Amino acid sequence: MDAPMIDVRHVSRHYLRGGDDVHALDDVSLSIPAGKFVALMGPSGSGKSTLLNLISGIDRPSSGEVIVSGQALPDLSEDELARWRARHVGLIFQFFNLIPVLSALENVALPLLLTDLGKAERRERAETALRVVGLEDRLDHFPATMSGGEQQRVAIARAIVTDPDLIVADEPTGDLDAKNAEAILDLLRTLKKGFGKTVVMVTHDPRALRFVDDAHHLDKGLLLDDDAAERASAALHASMGPGPRTTEVEP
Amino acid sequence: MALPLSYSWRNVRARPMRSLLTTSVIALVVLACTLLMGLISSMQSTFTETGHELNLIVLRKGSDNDGSSQISLEAYQAVRYFDGIARQPEGDQPLISPELVVQPFFRTLDGGRENVLVRGVEAIALDVHDQVHISEGRMFKRSAGEAIVGRGVAGRYEGATLGEELEFGRGRWKVVGIFDADATSFESEVWVDVRELASDAKRTIPFSGARIRAASKADLETLERRIDDDPRYALDAKAETLYYEEQSSASATLYIIVIAVAVLAGVGASFGAANTMYAAVQARTAEIGTLRALGFSRGSILWAFQAEAVFLALLGFVLGAAGAAIAAEVLTSALGGVAVGAETFTTSVIHVRIHSGNLLGALILSLAIGMASGFGPAWRAARLAPIEALRKA
Ligand SMILES: Nc1ncnc2c1ncn2[C@@H]1O[C@H](COP(=O)(O)OP(=O)(O)O)[C@@H](O)[C@H]1O
Ligand SMILES: [Mg+2]
Repeated sequence: MDAPMIDVRHVSRHYLRGGDDVHALDDVSLSIPAGKFVALMGPSGSGKSTLLNLISGIDRPSSGEVIVSGQALPDLSEDELARWRARHVGLIFQFFNLIPVLSALENVALPLLLTDLGKAERRERAETALRVVGLEDRLDHFPATMSGGEQQRVAIARAIVTDPDLIVADEPTGDLDAKNAEAILDLLRTLKKGFGKTVVMVTHDPRALRFVDDAHHLDKGLLLDDDAAERASAALHASMGPGPRTTEVEP
Repeated sequence: MALPLSYSWRNVRARPMRSLLTTSVIALVVLACTLLMGLISSMQSTFTETGHELNLIVLRKGSDNDGSSQISLEAYQAVRYFDGIARQPEGDQPLISPELVVQPFFRTLDGGRENVLVRGVEAIALDVHDQVHISEGRMFKRSAGEAIVGRGVAGRYEGATLGEELEFGRGRWKVVGIFDADATSFESEVWVDVRELASDAKRTIPFSGARIRAASKADLETLERRIDDDPRYALDAKAETLYYEEQSSASATLYIIVIAVAVLAGVGASFGAANTMYAAVQARTAEIGTLRALGFSRGSILWAFQAEAVFLALLGFVLGAAGAAIAAEVLTSALGGVAVGAETFTTSVIHVRIHSGNLLGALILSLAIGMASGFGPAWRAARLAPIEALRKA
């Protein structure tokens, strides 16, 4: 709980687009403790995905340090980084990103191909992961035959099958209806509570705030301080209109 | 560990129409090339399998085929008593077959004209050329205006059926028998009585040459040397198998032409298949990004797409090879073989058979198409940056 799982120090990420230098992230520093469920929030284009990709080692910063579980990611070569991801990070995407030609079981077992495990062991672990997300009766179903909520649960099973310390999710509920969105958020919280995972989730869904321990707000590539975050959060709630709501944001 | 082959295979099946189309193009190339290679090998084996390894062909010095050679009666008589010639089991005659070859035009049933090799022989020819068996009817009788025809000739030309009459030279020749000869070039010949043919052709020197069965391999060499060196008759002896191999030398050039055609057609098919594969990479960009994000290497992406292209090509090979086998069967059974002009300018009817070597050649061609067409797209897939690819979701 005390040692930071994720330590982002003065990280910037610039893209060159048509001669322009796009500052997707500008000098962002952020620390996330182990075993927390944290949301990254902010308007579209604010740099949420960019930050998440840096944390999960899919992308590299233009400058600054990203340290996850004590490992400085920018020091790793491309291959080392790929191996590191395969071991330590579970990835969840907005559009589930399942492989259409593979069954649920095969999709979940896919990351295990990058381990030394034998075939029987891989199958057993994939079945276990699917049981955790409540899809043990859908092993041989293909993505196209499943609902969005089910597909995202398969994707979550795929993210946890290697038993990583860190799970990152980029708008995991963005393509789901309210009921399925809540179920997915609940499942992610269970991963934290029941399995001790650190979960970092990009979202702009205010409902997510009920499930997370902490929320960080980004705007135009900058991380907002707590006051500004408060205002941003309030604005977001106001925009939702009337209705019962609870906020569990810790200051 | 790499992505499983089933991933590549299932992606081929996941877009059946497109895969089938690509595969069909490859299959057509494979079919055409296999069939052409089969035709050439069959042509080659028709000749190379003609002849007996203990047989010598004796011609006049300077002639390279029996159509242009003449040897005198004395020369024949002299050679006949040389040592080392095998003997008939019964009768004790030396196995030497004096022969006269003429190449008249025959009219085909569909109205064309083709040179056919007519061989004048004695009865002993059936012992010297023991590949030849009369399968229908009987051997011709001497001086009776009778002929026997090979399997490739029967039914192909006017009058070339049992009981009918062939018209060539000055006379008419009644077909009394049909012979088989293990699909060798003898099957494209007509055999008649040698003396009758000589008088019909008004030839004073009755023979083109002679075929001799040596008693052993060693005797074959001794005989060959002795005939070559005999100062009296200016004769040239040559192993019969070698003689027929030389007759087929033109097919080597044809083979090179077919290989050139195969390469060109293969390049065309590769472009088609590459197009399909580029479209697949395009359509699966986000998927590639996902796989890379999960930790799969550039190499495993490269192989997965390369394998996909090879699967398409192998599918094309299977379809094309099957098509070629069927086409060969149709050409041989239904159409009675393919007629080609040999070196001697007489027509040979070829039984087209797809040899294992042809299939191997077609397999190599398909694999080359698969590798060539897959590499560009697979390389592009492997080079995609994961974050960029994921943004295509
Ligand atoms: N690969 C890229 N190339 C160029 N610009 C990019 C790239 N990725 C992101 N950006 C830009 O960086 C900014 C932040 O993007 P992103 O992190 O995806 O935002 P968010 O996830 O908050 O919507 C945007 O202006 C976006 O257009
Ligand atoms: Mg985003």
